[in-house]
Amino acid sequence: MEPVISIRNLTKTYQMGDISVHALRSISLDIHEGEFVSVIGPSGSGKSTLMHILGCLDQPTSGQYFLNNKDVSHLSDDEVSRVRNKQIGFVFQGFNLLTRTSALENVELPLLYNPDGAVSAAERKSRAMAALAAVGLKGREHHHPNQLSGGQQQRVAIARALLNNPTMLLADEPTGNLDSRTSVEVMNIFQKLKDERGITIVLITHEHDVAAYGSRIVSFKDGQILSDVANESRRIALDEISVMAPAAAGSH
Amino acid sequence: MTLGNSWSVAVKALKKNKLQTALTMVGMTIGVATVLTMIALGSGAQQAIQDQVRSAGMNIIVVTAGNFAKKPEPKGDGAIEFGAAYHPDGPNRAHLLRVFHPEDDPMAIHDHPVSKQRLGDSEAGLGSAATLTIDDANVIRKMKGVQYVSEGLHENAHIAYNGKRWFTRMHGDDVSQPLIRRSWSFTHGGYFTARQEKNAENVLVLGSIVAENLFGKSNPVGQTVTVWNQPFKVVGVLTSGSWMLTPAAGDDQFDAMYMPVTTVQKLLNLSKLNDITITTESTGDVSRVSKQVTILLRQRHKIPDTAPDDFQVNSEASKALTSGGMRPDVSAAVTANVSTLEKVTLSQLGKTLDQASATMTALLTSIAAVSLLVGGIGIMNIMLLSVSQRTREIGIRRALGARASDVLTQFLLEASTLSIVGGLLGIALGVATSISISRTVQWSTKISLPAVLISFGISAAVGIFFGYYPARQASNVLPIQSLKHE
Repeated sequence: MEPVISIRNLTKTYQMGDISVHALRSISLDIHEGEFVSVIGPSGSGKSTLMHILGCLDQPTSGQYFLNNKDVSHLSDDEVSRVRNKQIGFVFQGFNLLTRTSALENVELPLLYNPDGAVSAAERKSRAMAALAAVGLKGREHHHPNQLSGGQQQRVAIARALLNNPTMLLADEPTGNLDSRTSVEVMNIFQKLKDERGITIVLITHEHDVAAYGSRIVSFKDGQILSDVANESRRIALDEISVMAPAAAGSH
Repeated sequence: MTLGNSWSVAVKALKKNKLQTALTMVGMTIGVATVLTMIALGSGAQQAIQDQVRSAGMNIIVVTAGNFAKKPEPKGDGAIEFGAAYHPDGPNRAHLLRVFHPEDDPMAIHDHPVSKQRLGDSEAGLGSAATLTIDDANVIRKMKGVQYVSEGLHENAHIAYNGKRWFTRMHGDDVSQPLIRRSWSFTHGGYFTARQEKNAENVLVLGSIVAENLFGKSNPVGQTVTVWNQPFKVVGVLTSGSWMLTPAAGDDQFDAMYMPVTTVQKLLNLSKLNDITITTESTGDVSRVSKQVTILLRQRHKIPDTAPDDFQVNSEASKALTSGGMRPDVSAAVTANVSTLEKVTLSQLGKTLDQASATMTALLTSIAAVSLLVGGIGIMNIMLLSVSQRTREIGIRRALGARASDVLTQFLLEASTLSIVGGLLGIALGVATSISISRTVQWSTKISLPAVLISFGISAAVGIFFGYYPARQASNVLPIQSLKHE
């Protein structure tokens, strides 16, 4: 089977004054459809740089990046915007919701920037409502981010990331700002997306216990891949939730 | 993204920062309002000057009976002493006596003749000669290019009412007089009618000064006053309708009474006129009509080619030129050549006044433009601040698929919305200010459609011009940098 993501000899070098910083040193990696890949490594290992290049937010110094067999490493701004809009869903550590904007409007955003013509306001609304309902936020559509808990905000971000049915969900430290209970809930959503909808997920983290939810773990160190192994003993978020105190279940 | 969507995004963004938006808009509003008010004041002044030129009667021609200025010059009398005329053996005695008018004799005792006696002396001049008739006026009325013609017969008279007396000017005029004067308005009643003029009825219109002195604050219309021992019915009271002219005791227009010319002729037992006032349809036609009137009247009065006119044709334009404190000899020279000087006067006077007011408008507008510039810089400042405050928002939008051009459009639309809405409010404020200025301090203002369009255009242009740089900055923000931005 053709990999969804295929990177070949990817190099990224930053110039900081006189010093060249080698963030990525000739990386090659294949990710197949439906995989839940955890990318782990200490800070400065190059995992964030990889995430930026995978998310088409940055361009590599050299090497190729094929997304659905198309080289997207050197595209024009308009083309790269289309790729971000259509094929990639972002989930960030800091949620990155627009402040003073309702959950509904936040989720609608990808449709607003739809490159294939305008989506009607009614359709935007109905699709965003459905996406919010899917992450369990029915009835909170008109709440602003500051009226929502961290876990709820992250679920709004996930709903937003999935709105255009992207090829890949790219999550950068999605649990970094969450307590352990909500972290497990978010991981549960990810595992459900992988198992039920076959969505490809790339999770960037520096915590081994978060990485353990993935089906495959790629370790980074000093801009190189240290190890790339299937995770035989992956954590199952659903099981962990069921053993948690039910009283706390309403905390989201 | 469609423009409509971009605009709704821009408006939402502006609504999120209401105070900031409002303050920026206020800057723009004041700028545009100032520009509009200044243009309104400037063109109002220009209009007022033009009105003044027009109501000063640049299209008015006055034909006065008699011809004082063009009386033939005595030949060769330059160096001769005055007394030489009385020397019985003087060499020039016969010649001098011929050119010497008895009234010029300083030794003679003058019994000032009454007007009735003076009428008939064609050389008396200044309207006292009996050379013009109502028939002359009627012929002029039919000429091409002539707008209104009014016969004029003037005298000083006492007017009495209820034991009060007032000495004032008595004008015998045609019904068209208010149309010639333009700047009159009636506080009570109206002017006499053509029918009353035709029947030479004893009716009169009072100037506001006369009305005040005889009737105080009460309405004189319908009351009967006495002039030259005859009862007259008051039909109206007129005053100045222009802020440039204030009625004053002793003036010729409002310390006066107006009657049909036919009534005055009957009253004074006269068949002649002092003057005929003519207005032309266009100001540029004054010279031509003046010449035509001269030719026509010479024919009608059967004046041989060698004799001078027995009337004088003057236009207000030439009066404006000759009455400005000139020495009498210069004034006479100017008047003698008035038909050629008149064109110069009209165009030069008009041009000079226009230039003066254009300079003033330019000055006011450039002061206002500075405030608009300040408003524009305000917008730029706020937008730049907004771009740096919203780097994260830009990053989020970019990560979700917004193109650089979408971000550019959004910020440009925010800036233009600020300036256009501010500009529209400014136009409303400017119009309101102009109106209240002209109401309160009586300055003349004029709001023209071009001025409004220019103000609106400027405000939109300022928004786009000063909004472009910040918008460009916003669209150049790299997505990863903006997402790292906390």
